[in-house]
Amino acid sequence: MSAQAARWVFYLGTGISLVLFLGLTVDTHRQVQTLTHADQLSDAVVAGKRVWHKYNCNDCHTILGFGSYYAPDLTKVYWRRGSEGIKAVLRTPERFTTWRKMPRLPLSAQELEDLVAFLQWTSGIDTHDWPPQDRKFAAAAGRAVAVGLSPGATLFQEKGCFACHRLYETGGEQGPDLTHVGSRLDYETIERILADPRSVNPAATMSPPPLSHEERDQIGRFLAGMK
Amino acid sequence: MELTYQSQRVAYPYFVLALLLFVLQVAVGIWLALSYAVTMPQWLVDVIPFSTTRAIHTNLLVLWLLLGFMGSAYFMVPEEAEREIFSPVLAYVQLVLLAGTGVTAVVGFVMGWTKGKPLLEIPHPLDYLIVVGALIFLFNVGMTIFRARRRTVIQGSLLGGLVFLAAMYLFNLPFYANLTIDWYYWWWVIHLWVEGAWELVAAALTAWILIKITDVPRETVEKWLYVELGLFLFTGIAGTGHHYYWLGAPRYWLWVGGIFSALEPVPILLMLVDAQHYLKARRLEVKGRLIFTLAVGMAILHVVGAGFWGFLHTLPQINYYTHGSQVTVAHGHIAFFGAYVLLNLMFFYYAMPKLKGLAAYDERRGTVAFWWLSLPMIAMTLAFSVAGVLQTYIERVMGLGYMTAQAQMRFWFAILVVLGLTLLAGVILAVVDLLTLRAARPAGEPA
Repeated sequence: MSAQAARWVFYLGTGISLVLFLGLTVDTHRQVQTLTHADQLSDAVVAGKRVWHKYNCNDCHTILGFGSYYAPDLTKVYWRRGSEGIKAVLRTPERFTTWRKMPRLPLSAQELEDLVAFLQWTSGIDTHDWPPQDRKFAAAAGRAVAVGLSPGATLFQEKGCFACHRLYETGGEQGPDLTHVGSRLDYETIERILADPRSVNPAATMSPPPLSHEERDQIGRFLAGMK
Repeated sequence: MELTYQSQRVAYPYFVLALLLFVLQVAVGIWLALSYAVTMPQWLVDVIPFSTTRAIHTNLLVLWLLLGFMGSAYFMVPEEAEREIFSPVLAYVQLVLLAGTGVTAVVGFVMGWTKGKPLLEIPHPLDYLIVVGALIFLFNVGMTIFRARRRTVIQGSLLGGLVFLAAMYLFNLPFYANLTIDWYYWWWVIHLWVEGAWELVAAALTAWILIKITDVPRETVEKWLYVELGLFLFTGIAGTGHHYYWLGAPRYWLWVGGIFSALEPVPILLMLVDAQHYLKARRLEVKGRLIFTLAVGMAILHVVGAGFWGFLHTLPQINYYTHGSQVTVAHGHIAFFGAYVLLNLMFFYYAMPKLKGLAAYDERRGTVAFWWLSLPMIAMTLAFSVAGVLQTYIERVMGLGYMTAQAQMRFWFAILVVLGLTLLAGVILAVVDLLTLRAARPAGEPA
């Protein structure tokens, strides 16, 4: 190869790749608006992103698969835990961890709200079905919310019960599996547990969930039907 | 043996600082592996969380590699430009500024002062100081080359790489409201550094050393430099797309990223083939084998780490399952080691004896150090890979919980602690050796 040909390899190789890359960057900017629902980027979401940076969450957790790999990916954590579930972990991480700990962060109430808004917005980004392990939560969340099986099922998802409990292999492992809870407990018992877990099981580690009387009734009916 | 240009001496403190930070970086890395393997008590996690030590580990890596590059450039440029460095004083000012910023940043991380972006945690206004340091460096090297009596491709590759490097860092400065856009430009810094700007700098340094230690004529070296850089940039720039598969960007990135990054091993393989030619043309008057050992080790591990391990998980169909797992960590470790750690060490082993006025040096310790670094690093890569495959299968394919997978991976992190300690011993051996090089016995120079 002559020196001149070598120079052409350099200029052409670099040039072609650069033009393609910059062109696609312009187009990506256009498409990201819809792929990320940029219209829903509210002040709370942006404030939440600043909280995310402030506590350096990303150097333990991944988000969109990027960051550190020490703790679960949070792209779709809103599907997994809902807003109440996320808040519960952030308030008392020591109750949700066993042999690998999360630091207790001095989050203000406002920071907590903003962070949840940020993670809720993040869960809506079109990531082409990534991460694979969270696809099942999309199905669960979609069925309960969109199809509206029952108001109780919707509440079960929204209030973050999935954070600790499982239904059909979806959900957390801290609490009992509730897939067949209706065959063990009747409606009244479930309703009492929801009002105050320790009134039924003095050894319960679950704190009384922040539910109205009506919400307790709806979740109670839903779970009593899970036989 | 005297230095050709007195101002080449400014490289020395850069090398010393880089080496000390290297030791620190690996020591902190062991702490990270330990955090995966054992249960850290809650009170300790509250005070020094994993995130803080991880930020220190990665920032020290970037800082020491960059200081190594800068020192190497300061050593090389006078000989390439055939004149003294434009301002040695500025070179020292730059070192103090960057070192001071680095130390402040690390102390700041411990105090919770962070930008909160992985690998780019250094907050405002410290990141502006880094820009100032980079500009001083660019100005100093640029002026030296500008006033040179000759123009070489190596000068161009170096200067181009440095401008590219500084320009990409600017994309780290703004706050991006949209998380997807944030990560899109994060990769302009990270990917376009390691698979663009740094490759240009590295190629310049490598080509220069090859001209020094072999009989291959400059014209041939510079011709292949053009070809390799052309292929590096052709595959590397659009290859950034392999980071854009799952972050909320259009689907065509799966094609662009997949195809271009599948080609990324090509220039690296070309370098390996090239290395064989250089090996045959080694200069007889160059005493010792260590430089060649390092050069060949670099070429091979570059192919293995950046090439093979990178290729393995940039195919979208595989990356869907391995993205953001310990497979990434395996690739990261061996790629940085093969491409940039060994390059720095090779340059140090070339320049240090000259800075110390040694014609030939006893290279037995250095040779042991090379193997003592490389073998644990290869073993670490395998351990990370096993952990990564376990994670991928248990968490992503079987769909079990994150911590269920981590429990199965724990054993491999215990292994990694041991391997990390072994690596640290190798690092200390290399650093001590470089700082206390002795004349080879036959040289018989008075001590």
